[in-house]
Amino acid sequence: MALFKVISGRLYQAFLLLVVMSLIGFVGIHSVGNPVYNIVNIETATPDDIRRATELLGLDQPLWRQYLVFVQNLATGSFGTSYIYHLPAFELVLSKLSATIELAAFAILIAAAAGTGLGLLAGTRPGTLVDRMVVIVTVYALSVPSFWLSMMLVLFGAVMTGWFPSGGRGSTVDLFGWEWSFLTADGLKHLVLPVLALAIPNIALIARLARAGTVEVQRADFVRFCLAKGLSDRHILFRHTLPNISLPIVTIVGLQFGGMLAFAMVVESIFAWPGVGKLLIDSIQLLDRPVVMATLTFVAITFVALNAIVDLLYAVLDPRVRISA
Amino acid sequence: MTIMTSLRLSQRRIRGALTLPNGILALFVLAAITAPVLAPQNPYDMLQILGWEASSPPGTMSGNGYRYLLGTDGLGRDIASCILYGLRISLVVSVVSAAAAAAIGLTLGVVAAYFGRWVDAVIMRAVDLQLSLPTMLVALIAIVTLGPGVDRIILALIIVQWATYARVVRSVALSEAGKPYVDAVRTMPLSHGRIILRHLLPNSIAPAITLLPIEIGHAVALEATLSFLGLGVPMDQPSLGSTVANGFQYLLTGQYWISLFPGFALFALIAAINFAGEDIRRLWDPRSRSL
Amino acid sequence: MTTKDEKAPLMEVRDLTLVHRGSSGSTPIVRDVSFSLGYGQVLGIIGESGAGKSTIGNAVIGLLAPGIEQTGGSIRMNGIALETLDAERRRALRGGAIASIFQDHTSSLDPLMTIGAQLGETIAALSPDLPRAEVRKRAVALLERVGIPEPARRYNSYPHQLSGGQRQRVVIATALAGSPSIIVADEPTSALDATVQKQILRVLKGLVEEKGLSILLITHDMGVIAEIADRVVVMKNGAVVEQGSTAALLENPQDVYTRNLLSAVPKLRRSNVDVRADTPAGADGNPGQAECRPARDAILVVDNLSKTFGGKSILRMFGTEKPGFALRDVNIRLPRGGVLGIVGESGSGKSTIGRILAGLETGNADKIELNGKACDITYRGRGGGLLGQVQMVFQDPSSSLNPRLTVVEALTECVRATARSGDDRSRSRIAKTIERLGLQQAHLDRYPHQLSGGQKQRVCIARALLAGPQIMIADEPTSALDVSVQAEILSLLKETVAENDLSMIFISHDLAVVQDICDEVCVMRNGRIEDYGTSDFIFGRSENPYTRHLIDARPKIFTR
Repeated sequence: MALFKVISGRLYQAFLLLVVMSLIGFVGIHSVGNPVYNIVNIETATPDDIRRATELLGLDQPLWRQYLVFVQNLATGSFGTSYIYHLPAFELVLSKLSATIELAAFAILIAAAAGTGLGLLAGTRPGTLVDRMVVIVTVYALSVPSFWLSMMLVLFGAVMTGWFPSGGRGSTVDLFGWEWSFLTADGLKHLVLPVLALAIPNIALIARLARAGTVEVQRADFVRFCLAKGLSDRHILFRHTLPNISLPIVTIVGLQFGGMLAFAMVVESIFAWPGVGKLLIDSIQLLDRPVVMATLTFVAITFVALNAIVDLLYAVLDPRVRISA
Repeated sequence: MTIMTSLRLSQRRIRGALTLPNGILALFVLAAITAPVLAPQNPYDMLQILGWEASSPPGTMSGNGYRYLLGTDGLGRDIASCILYGLRISLVVSVVSAAAAAAIGLTLGVVAAYFGRWVDAVIMRAVDLQLSLPTMLVALIAIVTLGPGVDRIILALIIVQWATYARVVRSVALSEAGKPYVDAVRTMPLSHGRIILRHLLPNSIAPAITLLPIEIGHAVALEATLSFLGLGVPMDQPSLGSTVANGFQYLLTGQYWISLFPGFALFALIAAINFAGEDIRRLWDPRSRSL
Repeated sequence: MTTKDEKAPLMEVRDLTLVHRGSSGSTPIVRDVSFSLGYGQVLGIIGESGAGKSTIGNAVIGLLAPGIEQTGGSIRMNGIALETLDAERRRALRGGAIASIFQDHTSSLDPLMTIGAQLGETIAALSPDLPRAEVRKRAVALLERVGIPEPARRYNSYPHQLSGGQRQRVVIATALAGSPSIIVADEPTSALDATVQKQILRVLKGLVEEKGLSILLITHDMGVIAEIADRVVVMKNGAVVEQGSTAALLENPQDVYTRNLLSAVPKLRRSNVDVRADTPAGADGNPGQAECRPARDAILVVDNLSKTFGGKSILRMFGTEKPGFALRDVNIRLPRGGVLGIVGESGSGKSTIGRILAGLETGNADKIELNGKACDITYRGRGGGLLGQVQMVFQDPSSSLNPRLTVVEALTECVRATARSGDDRSRSRIAKTIERLGLQQAHLDRYPHQLSGGQKQRVCIARALLAGPQIMIADEPTSALDVSVQAEILSLLKETVAENDLSMIFISHDLAVVQDICDEVCVMRNGRIEDYGTSDFIFGRSENPYTRHLIDARPKIFTR
């Protein structure tokens, strides 16, 4: 029953999110300008050309009618064709997915492992030098604007030292119909800087969360009772503290991973990484509405799916969610 | 008066507030206020900018008779002056938007918690929706829809931030509203407004106050990011973010100063705000409050 | 002088001094405390909050809170001074010879682990070579030993699936895992209902009798001491006031403080069995009948008050989720100028009645009449006719006052809210009222955190009184207070109600208190009225098995 409730809630949320996103996207792009001027060659086009292109794309219709057409097309599973690339919009988004996935996956794995480790290190010895160092360094790490961090990584990691390439994916390998960078040495080299740019703020975020959770759990009665039972510190740390702090960490990891899949646009554009975020920001600037709508839909679905996964993980990790009293 | 008493800080706390980051923060605010006096050049005034001195490295002497301490950007604007004027925009945008968002979120959160039922449901659904959309996207769409300009940026940041306050304040207000002191005044013939303003609000305000500096920091970063993406303040009003963005194309050719120094100023500003936020959170955390 | 052949005690505490080192210098928490605990003995340490009794327990376990240090004296077990041991041997001692039980059963167990696993890890930590099956067998045996029904099945349960009493049994089972010789039990039953408390104490007593365990029992509750302790140490402000055998101390307390502590405890009397004419219904061979004829003129009449919970949901519409009843068909007559007691265990719905009548929650009733005038309770709080006419005094005085208002600010607001127009004498009215309630002018400008618990509760009574109500509802008004203050507040409430011609509904789980101040008593169970009658009837002649069960669950010291 509880599961049914959760699933129906998630579906409802997904639906609402899609409606709102599509409306915002539509109105937003409409209010910015007419995409036709990005499509025809402004220098050579006659007014007649522009009019014909406008009619062809259905842009002469009132906005609400354009929206209805969009919804109708959506019902048949089509987001339309990109104004710029002349490819089906959703396929275009999917083709960028592998680049974003490998970037986000590496970043979140590093962030989760390093963040949890640092958080435990600091949280188990509150007030010590190590703890204060972790707290201070994480504040700094969270204060760096991500675009500047990326640029400094380019400056120090590529321009000045030449250790890593400053952008692009490097050579890739085709697997399951997608291109992957991490399977080649060159690709891995290209991954290092953008992964760092995405991971550093998240390491700090997760470390702070893990530290706060650890401090709180260490204070809890059941930990005191475990001490009174004569269990070793190590046993308490791994069997009791870690599972109890994992709940908020799982949530933040899920959310941040979703954020990276959808909105690594700053990092992706600085490192010229051809992923979903770069596609979105380019499409917004070019007013390529079908692609924007397809990307937003993908984003909404990703978020809802990740939320659902986090819910399921919660149920796995927390018996209070899994089994009602 | 009641809020003032709770804000009354003990001697020790005042001394504890005199830390290095807070000093830096004070310097930033001072620099922003006195920018027209401090800055050798007004980057808004095209007449003061010498186009042929573009991309000068730090320390170059200007034809206008002063030294470009931090160099010039691709248009010939003095980076040091751009930083000082950029600070003004960053601080105004972030403080105004965070304060307005806090006021809106605080009110809605307390109202939702007090009335419950459909009022709560409506407000919290809006909050959920807002928070389920990533910050960056909301800001992006808002700014795209609203158009460029400092006032639009502020509006966009308010739209992005209010929900966080509403949710945090509501959860505190909900637990406060369940306490017997609120029950006690509810059994008296007092108006809802009075119960909310005099009893619920002052006791639910703490999280909003601890959240404020964090959100100001976020706002600074977000404004800079939007400007970086070319969607923030217009080019002729250099903010810290847009100055850094300007430098990006020069970075690969080794003209590091255009993005390095404004970016560092931005980083230092956000860090100082965040440390001040840590202090405030410590002061307000009931666990660390001495008896 | 002890003779050579007299057996040395199991644990001996000599001149124990514990000091808290803070930033503002060091303050003594415990000063020169000495006592000894023999084999198979239960030693009770009793005192009010802040007496330092829990800190002694922590010192014995070896888990002093950060900042607290042992600066003098010694704790010897079997002749070995514990403070000389290194951390590792101290830890080994904790699992084995010295076990402990904490007060809060809701947080003593890890919520993410089955009780079997938590029990098992304790057993495995003590004997690492034991095969898994054997660990499990021992764990199940321990669960059985402490009276968990179906222990093999319960082994795989999580803490939240157990009741409070069962959780505390699991905690005891865990403490037993290392076959300890001493159990330090810090308020082991204070978070539990009276009947469950009795069962848990019986389990502990059984352990002492069968296994020859010794228990160091730390409590604020004389009833618990009387139930199982052999010897008592009475503490006040970190020092021992008096100690001796329980029987002697209860019969003939030497120190003034002990005497006050004892006399402050309300005692249940056997009511004299004299049949009076005005016995309400429920007495006439009709126990459990939720019906009541007004003996006197009733100021408040409640007919068939019900409240459901479970809320509205889609599942409700499909009929898969049945609504639960928080209250079902409750009928109440509050006699004018009288005190009606509502008793019951937690979850019985007794507080819900009070909250509905005060307008804090909604409910459904066939009829609610105040002074013969119908009132509406289907809307929360506003304009139901009861608003302002009913005032409440709550259980926890520390959260009953707005922390940001001074006493005079809080009281002025209350007077202004209810004053008839042009009443300018609020300050003098307030001054008069608080003086009558035993507070001084100086208290008026203080904030709640600058007042003691008892003083705060007086302010709460003043606030309720100044609103000019007809009915006062007191919901467990003394259970958050120290015993010595409880009696004062109770008599104050009683006087206040009488002096101001109020009627009162007094909600409590404590039968002795109810008997003391109530004219009529209503016993609640699972949202229904189980028994109803005059105080004399309920405590003297009621045949209702649940009422009898409640009375019998009282620790025996109270029924003398």
